[in-house]
Amino acid sequence: MSATVSPLAADLSATVLASEVPTLPTADVPTVVPPAFAILAVAIVAPFLSRRLGHALGVLATGGVAVWSLLVPAGVYLQTTFLGFDAVLINVDAFSRLMGVIFGLIGAAAVLYSYSSEAENRQTAFALGYVGTSVGAVFAGDWLTMVFFWELMAVTSTLLVWDYGGEAVRAGFRYAVYHGLGGSLLMAAVIWHYTNVGSFLFSASDGITAGIPAVLAAIGIGVNVGFVGLHTWLPDTYPRPHVAASVFLSVYTTKTGVYGLARAFPDGNLAIAYMGAAMALVGVVYALLQNDMRRLLSYHIQSQVGYMVAGVGVGTALATAGAFAHVFNHILYKALLFMTAGVVIARTDEQSLKYLGGLGRALPVTAIAFTAAALSISGFPGFNGFVSKGMITAAAHKEHLDGIFYILLLAGVGTFMSFIKFGYYAFLKEHSGTWNLRRSVTGQRIAMLGVAALCVVLGLYPDALFALLPGSTADAHPFTLSHLGEGFLLAFLGVVGFAVLKKPLSKIGSGIDVDAVIEPATFYGMRGLVRGVTDLFATVDRAVVATANAALDAASDPYGAIRGPATAVVGREGSSLKEGSLRASIATSVLLVIVVLAATLVGLL
Amino acid sequence: MTDAIALLVVVPIVLALVPIALGRLWDGAGWVAAALAALAHLGLSVTVAAKVISTGRFTYAVGGYTPPFGIELVADGISATLVVLVSVVTVAVVLYARRAGPDSNSFYSELLLLTAGISGVFVTGDVFNLYVFIEITGLATYALVATGRSPAAALASLKYLLVGTIGASLYLLGVGYLYIATGTLNMADLSTQLQAVGYDSPLVLTGFALLVVGLAVKSALYPLHTWQPGAYAESPDSVTAYISALVSTAAAYALFRLVYAVFTPAFDAAVPFALDALVVLASVSVVVGSVLAVLQSDLKRMLAYSSVAQFGLVIAGFAVANATAVTGGLVHLVGHAIMKAGLFVGVGALAGVAGGRTVDDLAGVADRAPVVSAAFAILAFALVGVPPAVGFAGKWHIVLGAVEGGRWGVAAVAVVSTLLTLAYFARVVERMYFQDAPAATADTVSGPDATATADTDAALTPDGGESGSESTDDAKTTGTSGITIEARIVVVAAAVGAVVLGLFASDLIAVFEPVLEVYFQ
Repeated sequence: MSATVSPLAADLSATVLASEVPTLPTADVPTVVPPAFAILAVAIVAPFLSRRLGHALGVLATGGVAVWSLLVPAGVYLQTTFLGFDAVLINVDAFSRLMGVIFGLIGAAAVLYSYSSEAENRQTAFALGYVGTSVGAVFAGDWLTMVFFWELMAVTSTLLVWDYGGEAVRAGFRYAVYHGLGGSLLMAAVIWHYTNVGSFLFSASDGITAGIPAVLAAIGIGVNVGFVGLHTWLPDTYPRPHVAASVFLSVYTTKTGVYGLARAFPDGNLAIAYMGAAMALVGVVYALLQNDMRRLLSYHIQSQVGYMVAGVGVGTALATAGAFAHVFNHILYKALLFMTAGVVIARTDEQSLKYLGGLGRALPVTAIAFTAAALSISGFPGFNGFVSKGMITAAAHKEHLDGIFYILLLAGVGTFMSFIKFGYYAFLKEHSGTWNLRRSVTGQRIAMLGVAALCVVLGLYPDALFALLPGSTADAHPFTLSHLGEGFLLAFLGVVGFAVLKKPLSKIGSGIDVDAVIEPATFYGMRGLVRGVTDLFATVDRAVVATANAALDAASDPYGAIRGPATAVVGREGSSLKEGSLRASIATSVLLVIVVLAATLVGLL
Repeated sequence: MTDAIALLVVVPIVLALVPIALGRLWDGAGWVAAALAALAHLGLSVTVAAKVISTGRFTYAVGGYTPPFGIELVADGISATLVVLVSVVTVAVVLYARRAGPDSNSFYSELLLLTAGISGVFVTGDVFNLYVFIEITGLATYALVATGRSPAAALASLKYLLVGTIGASLYLLGVGYLYIATGTLNMADLSTQLQAVGYDSPLVLTGFALLVVGLAVKSALYPLHTWQPGAYAESPDSVTAYISALVSTAAAYALFRLVYAVFTPAFDAAVPFALDALVVLASVSVVVGSVLAVLQSDLKRMLAYSSVAQFGLVIAGFAVANATAVTGGLVHLVGHAIMKAGLFVGVGALAGVAGGRTVDDLAGVADRAPVVSAAFAILAFALVGVPPAVGFAGKWHIVLGAVEGGRWGVAAVAVVSTLLTLAYFARVVERMYFQDAPAATADTVSGPDATATADTDAALTPDGGESGSESTDDAKTTGTSGITIEARIVVVAAAVGAVVLGLFASDLIAVFEPVLEVYFQ
């Protein structure tokens, strides 16, 4: 099974290079069942199978989805009604095809890695549920279906985090709260959009309705992609669960978010572009300060997703292509980084870079894979990150968005620095003792090296990826001299920067993120709100109870209740009021009849 | 077939003689005659209703003298529905009275006379004939109220006699004015003749005022209601159930016929003050009646004032003068009859268990009489207007019609009355379900009572009916609660009826619709 993963990709690139046509070959593949359902079916049966069979089915299903995504002709399948609305369960275009290919591919690699990392069946089942719902979200052809899978994705990923227990439970709660809020905002945006457009279908409108729905959607999706200020769940959650679970988590949520953002804002949005740039810089600065390996990598997710968000925000054909190329590449190298970090953590039982070192010799394959991934994420020429990052910066430059351009370059330097730091402390630095470690096992090696190979292949032959991309790659020229020079310059600056800042960096703690403000503010704000509401309620309650009691007293002793006011009005006689004394006598009755008759006659005549 | 409409009046009158004729020979004659009459009446009213539903409105000339000179009986969707209501209530009350009393032959004679009078009010198409039937109804009712053996009942009966007679006389005077103005007594004929005379004629206006005030006394609108609480509270339970369901209903129906069949909406257009005054009177009645009901501690008195309020609402619906509100008034008229009869029978039944008739006496009674308590609570909420019961359907159309007609005051009054209705019933239901029975006092109340009835002749106990039958004839009563099976059937049937009628309210409205369409062309 494992062997199919990398050769598949190799076949793909070979085919594309040989044919040199911009369109991909298609084939008759079944489209009666949404691809998500295949993966979800495996997720449901996996806990009841043997570990080997369960994981094998997982690899088969996710890999199958990758192949299916590659071959299925573009178009709309499985139009149906969902909750009484028109819905499209499979919508294949350049965006969803790309997402399907990479989600399936990395899903297969991650399941393989899980198997080799002694993950339990149940955890992998949750992970497959998470993969399946993500695939469902990206293949949805309408907002309703997408939001449906989007929410399920939040649920399954929370379960995946919780499954590990311990520290992960608390982090999972926070994760769930954030994604619940984000999902609700997106849902509100989609409903508002529906009332304006009259249809949930993507084809019914160009992106989401401008105005408040767009703002709501941006914030809702912003939680998923980690907008600055909404990102603290990310570094808090991803380092906590099982190392294999981290590999899954690093891939799906944020990238589905980028995909959703592209669907909602197909023509880009300047504010989102600047937000992307800010994410790229803020993420990398915090990453530099981290010592926990997975926490460092998590901040890099925010930083790298910042590039993609910037690409979506710039919105030109080249920028969109660059953003999705970066999605593809990032998934590869970030999953690879989490795999290598996972191997290090599993072998050394150590999360912090401070206590590592010299692992290059102890874990050579892991070190090689890490090097490929680190060079890729840093954007070193010859690796895939260089190509896609370059497309985004070039697009920003072309649009004369110089601010974004320079911020992204600066973030590039920071990326180099932090991965030099990671590599130095983990693999190069002299370690006081000697490591006596079990090396990575075959499955892990296949997964890691396969993905690493893809990073290099796509770095050298970007055309293979270009055929898959949405937008336009006509203006993408990754290997021009100036561009190459830019790449080498950033790398050089990174080395120099690390050399200069190594000492001070090690003295600074991991930094105070916005959650230090947000969480107390939320806590005290909520406490104030709750107290305010309860006090108000208590006041209203007291008033109501007092009124009700007064009414009850009056009703139980009506004559007594009247007696007070009556005495005040008529003097002593009022006190003689008692039960029955208000009843009219016969004479009074007759008088009343005559009075009413007289009044009526006077009125009428 | 069309003779059935005349037989509706004739059969009860004839059978009313039976208890008097055979009473000396056989004590049970009264009940048998009443039961026979009730069943026959049911058969006749169903026949009439079936004919109306299949072929529509039909008329019957009494004695072969053709209208407008002869007396005309008219059956349409509304009168047919109401005579069926009369039959149903008669059957229920006769059933209930067998055990609850007053089980005397004269009672059954009076009851059948009352049935005949009310049936006549519902079917007649002649204003003077209407007076005759109103007087028959009134006289029978005065006598029935007096069958309560307390001095208070006699006083209440006397008060009702004097005030009611003045009301009926005013009505007769009004009929006289109209006759002077038009020379006819037939309703259909009057409606055209009145138009010819002119609605602003002082004769016509005076006639209208006399008719409306006279009937307002009979329907017990505030402040002309003074006879009503005493009459309801002091008479025996079976009498209260019957007169609360039908007597004021007959008067309100007569008012409806006069306003729409005789004076027609054209009169309202010509003299807006007439119905405006009626709206005000009715609205005041709703609010003050409800407030007075809240102030009562005696359950029957509370229900009596509740009737003042509910008839205010019905007549407000009539006076708003559009098809929706009038429909609502009619639905509420029918619904109120069923609900109020059920509630009075329920009070009678629960009083037997609780040992008293005040609100506080019902504390914890739900534990001892769960079925009747539940039915009572359902009826109470139905009268409040909780859907899907019939109380909701009626009030809803009244409010809707008031809003359509721009009479926001009536809509507001209906809502306020709903809240007040909830207030006085919630008080009772709360006692029934959420308070514990005062165990010690319950014993002391029932203890001496039981010994007293054991010592003396059952017939001499002041409460006659239920306590007598309870203590002397334990085998007949259903063991647990001391509530007769008949009472239980009647209360439960009323509760079921109120809900079912609410569910089929649209069918009821469909029956009324053709009649109202003619009036509101």
